[in-house]
Amino acid sequence: MPQFKIAAVLALAIILQLTLGEAWPPLSHIDFPLIVVVYVALQRDAWTALIVGTIAGLAIDAPSGGLIGAGGFSKTLTAYLVYLGATRVNLENALIRIPVLAAATLVDGAVYFFWQRSLGHPPSAPFVQTISYNLIGTTVIGTFVLYMLGSVFNPTGTQSRQFASRRRGARRSASFSKRR
Amino acid sequence: MAATRTQKEIRQRAPIWLVMLLITNFAVMAVDANRRFTQQQTFKGLVQAVFSPIQNATSWVSSAGGGFINEILNFRSTARENQSLKERLAQTELELRNTKEAKTENYRLQGLLALKAEPGPEKVFARVIARDASVWFNTIMINRGSSSGVALNMPVITPGGIVGRVVAVSPVTAQVMLITDEKAAAGAIVGQLGGSGALGSVRGLGNSGLVEMRYVSGLQKVDVGDYVLTTGQDGIYPAGLNVGEVIEVKNGTATQPHQIYIRPSARLDQLTEVAVLLYQPPQRPAPEQTLPNVDKTKAMPRDR
Repeated sequence: MPQFKIAAVLALAIILQLTLGEAWPPLSHIDFPLIVVVYVALQRDAWTALIVGTIAGLAIDAPSGGLIGAGGFSKTLTAYLVYLGATRVNLENALIRIPVLAAATLVDGAVYFFWQRSLGHPPSAPFVQTISYNLIGTTVIGTFVLYMLGSVFNPTGTQSRQFASRRRGARRSASFSKRR
Repeated sequence: MAATRTQKEIRQRAPIWLVMLLITNFAVMAVDANRRFTQQQTFKGLVQAVFSPIQNATSWVSSAGGGFINEILNFRSTARENQSLKERLAQTELELRNTKEAKTENYRLQGLLALKAEPGPEKVFARVIARDASVWFNTIMINRGSSSGVALNMPVITPGGIVGRVVAVSPVTAQVMLITDEKAAAGAIVGQLGGSGALGSVRGLGNSGLVEMRYVSGLQKVDVGDYVLTTGQDGIYPAGLNVGEVIEVKNGTATQPHQIYIRPSARLDQLTEVAVLLYQPPQRPAPEQTLPNVDKTKAMPRDR
């Protein structure tokens, strides 16, 4: 996986995260850096996933009012958990990625809130409401973003997955004709 | 084989990297939390300085595109606000119009009060309740009739000048023929009574809203802007009422009278209140019966 592509996508995600919230506050519930982190972790590249998680978290922490490092901690941990899941279970299917993204959002939000509160800086936004909006926004938009990232980073793999059903159909029809 | 080993090594070392990064993040967090209590956020400032180029770029993108996005996103609220402002503007315009109308009415009523205070015949004030709906006549209907003392041929005036005369009376209403009607006429003079010899007769010109003055000798000097007054010789209007202002003169000669066009002083197109003069013209003396041109058969029909 070309590292510069990841860096570019991560930078774009951070910019989107910082920009869209200013343009329209509800859009800040879509966690673009987390989507990138989840995508990288799903590629089973642990080191890149952990680094991307840390950088993404710190980048969002810096301009925010919370503690620096809380986002880095939560995203790094989330990246590792997703990586761990990807090495044990096949998460290539796009539909399976949806619950993975949802779980990642929940874990990230919960860990972030936990550390902020534990270290004496509880967020002013209500936890359940905020994490619910994050869950909806990130999961819905993230599903499409993950698909787009798959097309950007591995177009041949995406195409092969798209044509897999056709190949299966072709094999079935061939075996059926042989039997007859 | 080497690739498998590498993957295996990565898998084995991943928890170590994780712990290291988590500890790093935790340390950063702890330092930041501690600094926050002491109000010394140098570390956060340092991190922010590192990320400031991204923030600057973000701010630039936000300022460049954010306004446009905001405009799109706020389109509905802008439309609502626009509608609300339009309604408020319409309301304000209505209030302004009402105020102007009240002001105009105030002036008008003040004029009527001044008219009432003027010496002369007794006056009955009336409100215009209708206009002639057809294009054939220039008449108005007022809300005073014979029960208020209004009678046929009584002159109707405003503070500006004469309006016309009463041509039909009912107990509670009266119909007034405007001076601009083609059948209306009045004796008039250009300039002051006694100070001018430009005597003549004014007649309406129909829907043009003007009146024409006839029979003024071409030898008399008449200029645009001169005012025209009634002479009282027509047996309807008392002398000295303002008729209007000369707006055009077609000069006559020694044998041909002037053609004078007059704009009535009373604003006949905006009449709302008028005054009816309870004026009875002085009776003209009966023709002397001894004169040779008197038709004596009419004077003594029963004697035959």
